Amino acid sequence: MENNTYICILRSNTGDCDKPSPSEMELQYAKYQAWQKKFADNIVDMGNKLGATGGVVRQDSISDGPFIELKEVIGGYMMLSAATLVDAIDVIKASPMVENAGVSIEIREICTP
Amino acid sequence: MSKQAEVAHLFRHEYGRLVALLVRRFGISHIDTIEDAVQWAMAQALEFWPKEGTPSSPAAWLYKVAFRHLLSEFRTISHRSSLLNKYISVDTDETNSNNEACFTGEMSDSMLRMLFIACSNKNPVESQLVFTLKSLCGFSIREIALRLFITEASVYKRFSRAKKHLKNETFELDMLSNNEMLSRLPSVHHVLYLLFTEGYLSSHTDTAIRQDLCEEAIRLTKLLAESKIGDSPNGCALLALMYFHLAKINTRKNEFGMLLLLEQQDRNEWSQQHISVAMSLLAQSAKGDSISRYHIEAGIAAEHCLSPSFKRTNWKKVVASYQLLNNIAPSAFHLLNLAIATAEWKSAQDGLAILASAEIPAWLECSYHWYAVHADLLYRCEKFTLADKNADLAITAAPTESIKQLLITRLKRSEGVQVSRAILLSCPAPS
Repeated sequence: MENNTYICILRSNTGDCDKPSPSEMELQYAKYQAWQKKFADNIVDMGNKLGATGGVVRQDSISDGPFIELKEVIGGYMMLSAATLVDAIDVIKASPMVENAGVSIEIREICTP
Repeated sequence: MSKQAEVAHLFRHEYGRLVALLVRRFGISHIDTIEDAVQWAMAQALEFWPKEGTPSSPAAWLYKVAFRHLLSEFRTISHRSSLLNKYISVDTDETNSNNEACFTGEMSDSMLRMLFIACSNKNPVESQLVFTLKSLCGFSIREIALRLFITEASVYKRFSRAKKHLKNETFELDMLSNNEMLSRLPSVHHVLYLLFTEGYLSSHTDTAIRQDLCEEAIRLTKLLAESKIGDSPNGCALLALMYFHLAKINTRKNEFGMLLLLEQQDRNEWSQQHISVAMSLLAQSAKGDSISRYHIEAGIAAEHCLSPSFKRTNWKKVVASYQLLNNIAPSAFHLLNLAIATAEWKSAQDGLAILASAEIPAWLECSYHWYAVHADLLYRCEKFTLADKNADLAITAAPTESIKQLLITRLKRSEGVQVSRAILLSCPAPS
């Protein structure tokens, strides 16, 4: 069966959390590397970080971005390949990204005709 | 230290190197901004490296990012004009950081310079230690508190004191002459020795946590010994001492985390690789015409490491070494060790006689070391009532649960008592 492609949208709390120490960061980086190695077949694109500012265009207005009324800001995205949504969720569940309490990741299938 | 351990501590070690290098370029008065910039660069790394892969030179990558961030910070604070004009040229001149060998050399050099700056007599030794751990080893305040068994507040206080002192000395930092560096070498050795013993003697249950302080001490001592200024017989002796103890570090506890007596330790488990490194360092240290406490302590450690068993240890030589050690660096702690070694070499009575004739400072007289050694020697002289009394006092004075457990199980007549040997002989002396 052909795998589906999923987009994972990373949201994080704008609230400032404690700065991690170098040891914590190296530990986290090691976890990233292990996770990427384990799920190399699933990770299509690690995506990118999104800038802090943006614009929202509506039929009747252009605003500076949707951020003001939202507690969580979209901070980045990535692409996964998996057979089912459940598999994609498992990949994300195992990632170090979700260890941070202020982070949530929405996983949506990219539909193709 | 294995190559792997160095890679594993990429962030923590680069932190120290980057802070040192940037402090050297911009001045110690900006250390807070510099530390923030390095922290920021590392957060960026965590963001980008998973996507782009680890760069071929992580150090250069982090340096560039921290440097640019630092410049933009400086732009927003007041004294930009003079600083920017002075340093902006470095920004465009990135060939600097592309030349890997030169870059690495400059970093090591900066690390050592920071170490010498921190180890000024005007800076209290406990602040020197905290500053070294924070700015050169990359530990956070919380991590230092955990390792030194003190509160975060007092780590913070000591670190601030060190920084304040360093900022006051700004004018002389870049002008530390070779002679001044040489005169500070003993202080630098002392703080590295403390760093090692803090890890080695720590009763922390997590072995990794104990070992990483020892590894940091070795890393910096090695860096120092390999440098022009630090290449001294004393430095080699200190490094030898550290390797001898490191060889035994994993056998100091059993699988339940209980401290083991030197006699009970499995000598087959001692790292022969570390012992042979230590032996060649000890040989290298035997030059010049002075002898330091590190030479003698390394000599004693060598005696234990090379002896096939506890019983066959050359106690006569160990006794002579402790006598010499006490002559050049008098400490009641050395006397305790001398008493124990004498008890092994001659008899328990002779050991007790040494303690009876010595002047013992108050801090030692109410420590568990003192009571435990007395209890041990008294049992062996069959003075049971007095021995029991000392055993009880030792158990009451034990600072941690694992030491208390060791004393409780060992300080019993029926089991034979050699607790003092475990506590004292297998350790470097606290100072």
